[in-house]
Amino acid sequence: MEALFHETISSSTIIFFAALGGLFSSIAGKINIGLEGLMLISAFLIPYFSQLFGSVMVGLSFGIVIGGILGAFIYFLHSRFKANIFVLGLAMNLFAAGITTFLSSAFLQTKGTVYFSFPTSIRPFDIPVLSNIPVFGILFSHQNVFDYLSFIFVIVIYVLLEKTFFGLRLKTIGFNHKTAESAGINVKKYSYGAYILSGTFCALSGAALSLPLESFVANMTNGRGWIALVAVILGKNNPIGVLGAALLFGFSSALANLLQINTTIAPKLLMTIPFLITLLALIAYSANEKKTGGKNEP
Amino acid sequence: MRRRELLAQRLIILAISFTAGLVVIWLTSSSPVQAIHSFLTVPFSNRYFFGNLLTLMIPFIFTGLAASISFQANEFNLGIEGQCYFSALVGTWLALQLGEVNRMLAIPLIIFVSAVTGGSFALISAFLKSKYAVNELISSLLIGYSLIHVTDFFLEGPMLDLQAGLIATKTIDNGLMLSKILPPSNFNSGFFWGIAFLIIFYFILRKSVFGLKMTIYGQNSRFSEYMGIKGSKVVHKAFFLSGAVAGMGGIIDILGVHTKMIRGFSFGYGWTGIAVALIASNQNTPNARNNPIWIIPAAFLFAFLESAASTSAIFSDLTPEISKIIQASIFFLVTVSFWKKSGDHQTT
Repeated sequence: MEALFHETISSSTIIFFAALGGLFSSIAGKINIGLEGLMLISAFLIPYFSQLFGSVMVGLSFGIVIGGILGAFIYFLHSRFKANIFVLGLAMNLFAAGITTFLSSAFLQTKGTVYFSFPTSIRPFDIPVLSNIPVFGILFSHQNVFDYLSFIFVIVIYVLLEKTFFGLRLKTIGFNHKTAESAGINVKKYSYGAYILSGTFCALSGAALSLPLESFVANMTNGRGWIALVAVILGKNNPIGVLGAALLFGFSSALANLLQINTTIAPKLLMTIPFLITLLALIAYSANEKKTGGKNEP
Repeated sequence: MRRRELLAQRLIILAISFTAGLVVIWLTSSSPVQAIHSFLTVPFSNRYFFGNLLTLMIPFIFTGLAASISFQANEFNLGIEGQCYFSALVGTWLALQLGEVNRMLAIPLIIFVSAVTGGSFALISAFLKSKYAVNELISSLLIGYSLIHVTDFFLEGPMLDLQAGLIATKTIDNGLMLSKILPPSNFNSGFFWGIAFLIIFYFILRKSVFGLKMTIYGQNSRFSEYMGIKGSKVVHKAFFLSGAVAGMGGIIDILGVHTKMIRGFSFGYGWTGIAVALIASNQNTPNARNNPIWIIPAAFLFAFLESAASTSAIFSDLTPEISKIIQASIFFLVTVSFWKKSGDHQTT
């Protein structure tokens, strides 16, 4: 049970960070479907830079900056050259798959699993005092730094979106460009902001995926970016809702992982579980929205 | 966008993308001149390499057409990859069961069964959309991912041929293979299947009532409702056709080239197909004035990229992934509009 719990948290963290990346773009009214690609690039670059510079902090900073630049690049092509935002997202995913394999074979001479080594490894640890609280202590024990960060980010992002002008303006833009413009909001500036944040959170997600493993495998994101996208839709543009959806999807992949270890069911069949649960959740959500007349187009 | 501007735009995109690719080769290769030279010339250097380049066009024509059909109705079928892969498995299974039979009957049957398989899985997404308003882009993608894993399950378990030396099924009877045209290369009659379906689709699109309905629905779904067009029916048919063509592309590649179902044989076909369809579409919205004939040069372009990268990797220190980078650059730029300055554009 405890193994399932911890596995759920760490799987959810990865999806949650990527979903936060999707959340900003979704609130600004132009959902970013390049989450998968942004994650994958960071999942390669962050451990690579960490090894190169001998510091995880430096690697992480580089990765986050590059994530932000790539996010801004998507919005740049959309805003300046009217490129289709969905196609740009797909392009980012394709680019990521190509560039990561290319870089790993050009610089590290391998296309298979790349192993990295850097001074500080990301290991699970207990938070003193808090981890001794009965029942709730489990939340503060045996998790890695990204898992704890995700707890903090839920609150930070919630406040940012619900209690600040930034959040309100972003929502206005998503609601209606014209309204936002006539209210004196610089639509472009905020949309760029949303896409930069989208890239940076995807970078965190990629880091949470590959840093603890200290390795990179081609296409290791394996659809998590898309699952995160569904989490954004299900979360109805609210970080707490997104967290709930991410937990559900994290649980489904944790379940698949544990069944793989503990049963003889074919692993390939178990790997479909996260996708099917995501699809079922999306169907349930959409059916309900349709009944109640809400709109759910991303 | 006028025709001449469109052509100019495509050429600019290609120039930028190729330049990007050549710069990357220049930076990473230890003998860049030789690498670039072999990249640009090897695919045309002899019958074998050129034949294989043309062979690679075949799946791209099919997946390009599959994507193009869904774009025409302004729908995104992102499950092409999975539909193509799983249908190839089903077709291979059938071919293995049939053994030695009349090839004139068996080959069309196998292709038909694969088409129905691919179409059915694509239809699920259309059904979910019309019944529960589930976003088709995401549902087709999720189903596609699942199909890939399910296919791998069959390949690694029940259908694995232990003698094969790689993750693959048994070899299909030689009598069921498509005829080779340019030996020693793999070029085969699948190419004509592809061209035939392109022409059929061209006529469906331009001359049939369904084609017109699909175009109207794709351009403006609300307007099409006022005209009495049943949107859900159009979406169902478009998705079924799209998946069916994707499925045919998979099995034709098996019967034409691979002789057995091999794990991962079609990886990337789906995405390349989307890129092909985007080049074939006329504007920065994929659905507008789709011209299926453009699929041929677009498929040729991507086949050239793939085969140039993989063959020149033999003659120089080039990494085959270079083609993916050029392909991604084209993808980034393909819906870009160089002629009009950015303005207000809320619709995507």
